Amino acid sequence: MKKGFITLHVNGDAHEVLVSSQHTLLDVLRGKLKLMGTKEGCTTGSCGVCTVNNGRGEAVLSCLTPALEWADQSITTIEGLEKNGRLAPIQQAFVEYHAVQCGFCTPGVIMSAQAVLNLTPAPTEEDINDGLAGVICRCTGHIKVKEAIRHVGEFGPTP
Amino acid sequence: MSKPEDLSVIGRRQPRLDGFEKVSGRSVFTDDIVLPGMLHGRILRSPHARARIIRIDVSKARALPGVKAVVSNVDAPDMLFSEKQPLLAKGFVHYVGEEVAAVAATDPLIAEAALDLIEVEYEVLPAVTSLRRAQQLDAPQLHEWAAGNVALTHEKDFGDPDAAFAASDLVITDEFRSPVQHNTLAELHVALADFTNPDKLHVWTPTQGAPMYQMALAKAFGLETSQVRIVYGNVGGAFTGRGRAKPHHFIAALLSRVAGKPVKIKATGDEEFIMFRGSGETQYRFRTGVTRDGKIRALEADVTFDAGAHAEWAMILWLPAPYLNWLYKVDAVRYRGRFVYTSTVPKGSHHGGIFGRLSAGWMQHLNHVAEELGMDPAEFHRKNAIDPGHHALDGSDFASCGLKECIDRVVERSGWKAKYGKLPPYRGIGIGIGAQASGGKNAANDTSAAMIRVADDGVVTLYTGIPDMGQGSHTVMAMITAEVLGVEPEDIRIVGGDSDITPFDWGAFSQRGTFTTGNAVKLAAEDARAQLAGIVGPLLGVAATDLKFAHRRVWVRGETPDATGRSFSFREAIGKAFNGVQGLAIMGRGSFNSPRPSGSLAYSFGAQVAEVEVDPESGAVKVIKVTAAHDLGRALNPLAVEGQLDGQVFSGMSQVLYEECRMDGGQILNPSRLEYKLPRTYELPEVEYILVETIDPYGPFGAKEVGEGPIVVTMAAVANAVANAVGEMLPQIPMTPWRLLRVIRHRRNHGLAPAD
Repeated sequence: MKKGFITLHVNGDAHEVLVSSQHTLLDVLRGKLKLMGTKEGCTTGSCGVCTVNNGRGEAVLSCLTPALEWADQSITTIEGLEKNGRLAPIQQAFVEYHAVQCGFCTPGVIMSAQAVLNLTPAPTEEDINDGLAGVICRCTGHIKVKEAIRHVGEFGPTP
Repeated sequence: MSKPEDLSVIGRRQPRLDGFEKVSGRSVFTDDIVLPGMLHGRILRSPHARARIIRIDVSKARALPGVKAVVSNVDAPDMLFSEKQPLLAKGFVHYVGEEVAAVAATDPLIAEAALDLIEVEYEVLPAVTSLRRAQQLDAPQLHEWAAGNVALTHEKDFGDPDAAFAASDLVITDEFRSPVQHNTLAELHVALADFTNPDKLHVWTPTQGAPMYQMALAKAFGLETSQVRIVYGNVGGAFTGRGRAKPHHFIAALLSRVAGKPVKIKATGDEEFIMFRGSGETQYRFRTGVTRDGKIRALEADVTFDAGAHAEWAMILWLPAPYLNWLYKVDAVRYRGRFVYTSTVPKGSHHGGIFGRLSAGWMQHLNHVAEELGMDPAEFHRKNAIDPGHHALDGSDFASCGLKECIDRVVERSGWKAKYGKLPPYRGIGIGIGAQASGGKNAANDTSAAMIRVADDGVVTLYTGIPDMGQGSHTVMAMITAEVLGVEPEDIRIVGGDSDITPFDWGAFSQRGTFTTGNAVKLAAEDARAQLAGIVGPLLGVAATDLKFAHRRVWVRGETPDATGRSFSFREAIGKAFNGVQGLAIMGRGSFNSPRPSGSLAYSFGAQVAEVEVDPESGAVKVIKVTAAHDLGRALNPLAVEGQLDGQVFSGMSQVLYEECRMDGGQILNPSRLEYKLPRTYELPEVEYILVETIDPYGPFGAKEVGEGPIVVTMAAVANAVANAVGEMLPQIPMTPWRLLRVIRHRRNHGLAPAD
């Protein structure tokens, strides 16, 4: 079993952690760093609740990727979206549009939505559909989720 | 009954009060809880649909370093999960996934490795892995007490069905089937049990209601109900999938008692699909007798449910009988139901209860009846629809009923008359209607209770046991409290989700949250307000009943709530009570139970029209638009109501078009959310909602349920729209591309029009 210390940059903080080839990025985020905002769902990449953003702002399924591959990489989790104690625009929009119900998939849905906005600040309907296609929310049916993303796309990142 | 203009909080589009926690990653779910010394539990499950257990040897697993407990039936030989079902397999296994043994270890990987070290020798026996097979004459008998594999039957006649059918001009019969379906909860099944103190069992777990879990666990472990504490802070969806405790709750407790440490058991993604207890296969036959002019005389339903290996959810067997009485004015109703054993996991129901799957067939059948009569189906439903004040054959009374208005509104808004029968080939439009009880009143005690404490600083704390599974119950309970006390929803703190603290509440099933718990909360708030008014009234020189509470102020009715009138701020008023000579600490209490012996006090109604397009080459269905009108009494929080409707349209179309556990020999072939299809973002229809507010006299501020009624109607409307698009009824859900292609090709080969 391959094993070693890696440095992960999570939400702007550097963490040195001992990981083995058995650990996924999700194991490290939840188990070692205690960043419990990112949820563990199916662990097979089919539900999307574990979605985080990589250094390029893209959506990544943390349950599928081995932790060792993340040495010296940057990651943003749901806990990293707030700035100076204020919710990010997409988080605020999720509250106002009732895009959150049970909330279990919400961190993954928001990180998917944030990735859409990172890559396409004024997303089209197709951009939103593509960006959210990897995550399932039975509660909301994604209807108000899409409204919240459209709102942020329309009014920009300034809250 | 308050008039709308008197209400300051109710009816507001109120965002969830826990929204900040949920969007920021602060919300704590069960799997986020780690207790000191906590172990990780894993369950060894049967790989066979039916087998005799020759031998179990756990010695190697027990010897693995890090393993702290291994249990099999010898460790709890008399512990039952349900009436005739041992918690851990005893001599036999009856389905793939049955719990055979379990391990608790210091690390999940060690627990997993230990499972591999448990040796079980099986003698495989002939199994019965489909509902059809179970009813064949040569099928193996699965349980000695169940000849023909029939677990239970239920027969109910209302009126004289034979006479009503005889008096009918036309009698039509249709048959339908629905598959095994899974609840696919966002938060997978999980339980954390701490039974280190033998006098108290603590279980952290998502649930739809604590009391049923407490009672079941107490019975199994020889405890009093209050010795079992259920903690359920955030619940990641339920959709009828968390109504009762499952074996992993008991096993976590058993492992914890043996190991003397807290034990967490969490399902893996594929394990979730074999341990679930969602919908079983269902076969149903509807028969309807009508007069030539379209009056329904008699309705009959004959339903065969797949119980699975044990009859855990007998209740679903008798629920259809009353349901058949709630929509139409009829002379007679007949229900015949049976629960049949198969060698599969015990079943319950899926989102929409049993009514969704029945409705997808029943409404296609009634559409068929209307078309045979040459009537527009919307007119047929309307002609037979009940009115307010109707007394149904099952004894149900409908004080408020907006069914006809719902039909009229969706017909108008969807452009039904211009479209029905006039759409191009492979475009379809369908209508469905439905009713649902606000609180099932399934036992004499169907109680919800609530407590309200007003602190001396004016902060109001509501103690409620109703779980918030996402439906927004805590926010709406805060709105009810705020409305009565004249404060704002943000002023209310909710303490919930802990059976040691919160007053009794059966929980969130049978659509009882808003109605039953809402009434209890309203009573508690009124009690608190009366206590406060008793102090403040005399101070302002009026009787306690002459006060008005709103906008965080208390004032003399008829005056203005400012310096020109006699008034206090809410906080000043609380200070007068607390710091006055009475030193009154205000605590309100409320308890609500429908006074009826059975049946609900209120029923919601709805109608929906769906429009679809079927691709005749691929068989794929695109749902274009769903127009939904629902009589929900009053929308306490229209924002949350829309959220409930969104989820039910999504889940309803999903069950009709996509969801199916593909079974083979008792094994599920598609145990993941990639292969068990749900709609993705690009498959969502346009939705239009019409809220019909009939202000029910028994509901809190006139409200009725809206948490399950709509999905039943969506399933009916979508099913009828697809049938309309391809030109014939579709006897099996889900209406998958390959099933539709078979119909389309058959019709083409026989020169039948795609849609008529």
